[in-house]
Amino acid sequence: MGVLDYFRPVRSMTTEEAREFMRGKDPGDYNLVDVRQPKEYERGHLAGSVLIPVGELGRRIGEIDASKPTITY
Amino acid sequence: MRSRAAAAMLADAGLEHVFTMQGGIRAWEGLVASGPPESGMAYFGDAVSARDLARLAWLLEDGSRLFYVRLDDFLHDEDARKLFQDLTKAEISHELTLGGLYKSYSGGRAVEDSLPQERDDIMEGGISVSDALVWAREKDVASILEFAIALETNAYDLYI
Repeated sequence: MGVLDYFRPVRSMTTEEAREFMRGKDPGDYNLVDVRQPKEYERGHLAGSVLIPVGELGRRIGEIDASKPTITY
Repeated sequence: MRSRAAAAMLADAGLEHVFTMQGGIRAWEGLVASGPPESGMAYFGDAVSARDLARLAWLLEDGSRLFYVRLDDFLHDEDARKLFQDLTKAEISHELTLGGLYKSYSGGRAVEDSLPQERDDIMEGGISVSDALVWAREKDVASILEFAIALETNAYDLYI
């Protein structure tokens, strides 16, 4: 992935939209991915999120179910 | 921005519905869970069958219930006492659910009959009930409430 990929348009949600999105669903229906560092995750994370620091995402991408909608934070 | 980069990577890898949450966790208003990803999971090592998991979960709920019950011995604030009594009832209802599960996994055996004589002094979060009570005696109601909120939010985090 090159530098330009960081500037790809990515759809975003406000926290309110994310909350609304998750409220209507079973936690197994979507991926909620915390891409920060483990220390940050330990201090506080959204309930039900999985920790995959962005630096590890490339090799751990298989852990994310591609058939489900995904929210990163 | 890390979240954006991550979302871009996932979209690049072919995931169709990827969103990044604006403002990240700082913008999130409401409860967050804490602790490392494996927190509270260590205990699951030797409990493998569904029956054993149900018994372990029952023990943790029962530990939390005991904690809430004993708080009543030294709290004076009426509102706080009422709240912890409600939480006690919630733990009892969790125990009933888990007790039913245990029964169905064990061919009708009651979970209470399966407990060893020397029960582990443990509650949700893998904390010792007696340690938690010693800690709580020194603290004001607000700190105890914060602890209870963290406990319940983390439990929610782990269950989902």
